[in-house]
Amino acid sequence: MIKGENKKEQSMDFAQITFTGLTTLSSISILLIATLGLAVIFGMMGVINLAHGEFIMLGAFVTLFSTQAGVPFVLSLGLSFVALAIYGAVIEYIIIRHLYGRLFDTLLATWGIGLVMYQGAILLFGSYTSGIGLPAGTIGIGKYTMSSYFGILILVSVILTATVYLIFVKTKYGVMSRAAIQNPQMAGSIGIPTKKINTITFSFGSGLAGLAGGLLVPAFPATPDMGVAFVSKAFLAVVTAGPMIISGAVTTLIGVGGVSSISGIIFTSVIGDVVFFTITILILRFFPTGVSGGWHGKL
Amino acid sequence: MKTSIKALTTAIAISSAVPGMLLAEDTVKIGALHDLTGSFNIYGIQQSEALKLAVKKVNEDGGVNGEKVEVIEYDTQSDDARYTQYANTLIIRDQVAAMFGGLASSSREAVRPVAHQNETIYFYSALYEGGVCDKYTFLTGVTPSQQLGVMLKWAKEEYGDKVYVVAPDYNFGTISAHWVNEYAEEYGLEVVGEDFLPVSQSDFSSTLQQIQTSEPDFVVALPVGSRQTSFYEQFSAAGLKDRIGIISTNYGSGNQQVVVSANAGEGIVASQNYFQVVDTESNSEFLEMWEAEYGEISDPIISEANDTWNAVMLWAEAANSAGSSESDAVIDQLLNGVELDSPEGKIKSLPSNHLMHQVYLVEGDSNHSFNVITKYEDVMPEYEQSVCNLLEDPSVSRQFSPGS
Repeated sequence: MIKGENKKEQSMDFAQITFTGLTTLSSISILLIATLGLAVIFGMMGVINLAHGEFIMLGAFVTLFSTQAGVPFVLSLGLSFVALAIYGAVIEYIIIRHLYGRLFDTLLATWGIGLVMYQGAILLFGSYTSGIGLPAGTIGIGKYTMSSYFGILILVSVILTATVYLIFVKTKYGVMSRAAIQNPQMAGSIGIPTKKINTITFSFGSGLAGLAGGLLVPAFPATPDMGVAFVSKAFLAVVTAGPMIISGAVTTLIGVGGVSSISGIIFTSVIGDVVFFTITILILRFFPTGVSGGWHGKL
Repeated sequence: MKTSIKALTTAIAISSAVPGMLLAEDTVKIGALHDLTGSFNIYGIQQSEALKLAVKKVNEDGGVNGEKVEVIEYDTQSDDARYTQYANTLIIRDQVAAMFGGLASSSREAVRPVAHQNETIYFYSALYEGGVCDKYTFLTGVTPSQQLGVMLKWAKEEYGDKVYVVAPDYNFGTISAHWVNEYAEEYGLEVVGEDFLPVSQSDFSSTLQQIQTSEPDFVVALPVGSRQTSFYEQFSAAGLKDRIGIISTNYGSGNQQVVVSANAGEGIVASQNYFQVVDTESNSEFLEMWEAEYGEISDPIISEANDTWNAVMLWAEAANSAGSSESDAVIDQLLNGVELDSPEGKIKSLPSNHLMHQVYLVEGDSNHSFNVITKYEDVMPEYEQSVCNLLEDPSVSRQFSPGS
């Protein structure tokens, strides 16, 4: 009798711990998906895109409208990527390229772009848009269940991060773009078209933001301010990442996002947020060059 | 000093000498503070439309004491600082007889002291956490003591005894959560857990796990703003809606039922004094007028629109029976009880500067709308009435909250 009871309690604890792991992974993967585009643009160009949240929002609306028009969800995601990549290239060509090397000016310009996009979205789409909703289906461990879509997002975030990493490490474009950020003059003098590379990078980062919007729109209803929810943490992850931008951002998000999610589960959501920002501040205090400051690696 | 008195007497002399000439152009000005831009414009735009519609109706019916009502409106941009600024502008420069508007409780608290100091009546028209007691601030929205009591009693019957509270981390959320605890004790419910959400939060995985750990029979969900609306989506997708009930005092007030998917919205229970589906004669007239003025209704009319309409109507009624639109005369009428037929049904002003309301318990359907489950008639703001009597003590100016 006593044995049986013990066993039951143990299995409950096991379910709870496993499920906590799953919840934490899902929170990290959402942040990671929302951060990648920003990380690429900052890491490869030294530009902080303050309109990143609005890029995510626009991508969300592209997926939303094309799904509602009958396009399959996966294809709609592709559309979001392509649409935002084109949009990003245009923005880079018209505005960003004139401001390279002027960090504060690009901050101001992208912030302005964000404001215009936000109010534009309110005027165009209105404040209420019906969401597409999450697909049915749940993953269960013991008495706990979560939406299976969040499980899928975990896999997607891993695949997406690996793809971005490989593009910058293995392809010719990737090598050239890293050369362009590390030593622009040297890169230019050996014939790397740095301007063209920058346009491609900004476009690629924007496309990733669009894809993120598409991936997130089932769980987070599309509203003009939906991107704002993710960007503050994405910015902090990118800033604390340091020179190895992709691996640094992944490390930060797993570490800080993980601890914050777990404290959210144990205590309250507010404490989870406090923990996130406190750890970030501590990291920047003790590793002023970011977590990857002393690392030897490619990205 | 001497010249100004002289100028004043001359002015009075002139105006009393030619009353007929001025009468044709005489208007009484009212001020409106609405969030026409920024994140609260999902409420502000409808509040503004409702106010103008109500003023039009008042003017068609002969105006206030024979004068036409004129609206001076400022866009407060969802920014509390603008509320203070424009409230001052309305009073000092525009010299309005009354002020209307405000959505977030913080914006109301920005206007309230300005109204009180200048002894100008201010109507706040949104559901809120309750407890404000101030002669110059009249609250036409519904309060927790009108919504939560009836709803928790109903939920106990329907779902069971164990309740979990999810609320935003600012005064509306924390005070409402406090109310849930008070009523839980009264009705023999057990609060098995609470989570307060940062306003920027939109990933609710942690909260959903906590809910599952505490195994409640139902959840009181009070998310505010478009980002927190995703709570309903994620709650439903995690499969919790099948085994845990979900009730809310503010679901629908920002048309959340339109934003969430049809699946997620089905079965969410809410209680307020007005939903567009409310079936009263005055509501059909109200909706007809709305369509005649603004065309076909695409976004459902929210309770704040009803509350704003009621504010204008109450003010006009009180000013007409007082024979003056002076704030103190209007307030005197309101404190002694003005009764009106409104879109929600019968309303009556009370000595706590709140309203007796009709409260509707509704359930989300599978088509982004609601079905009415029950109507609670003539519900009093018990708490506000118990702590606040402005007829007896008109000098009070504070917000009461349970435990304070």
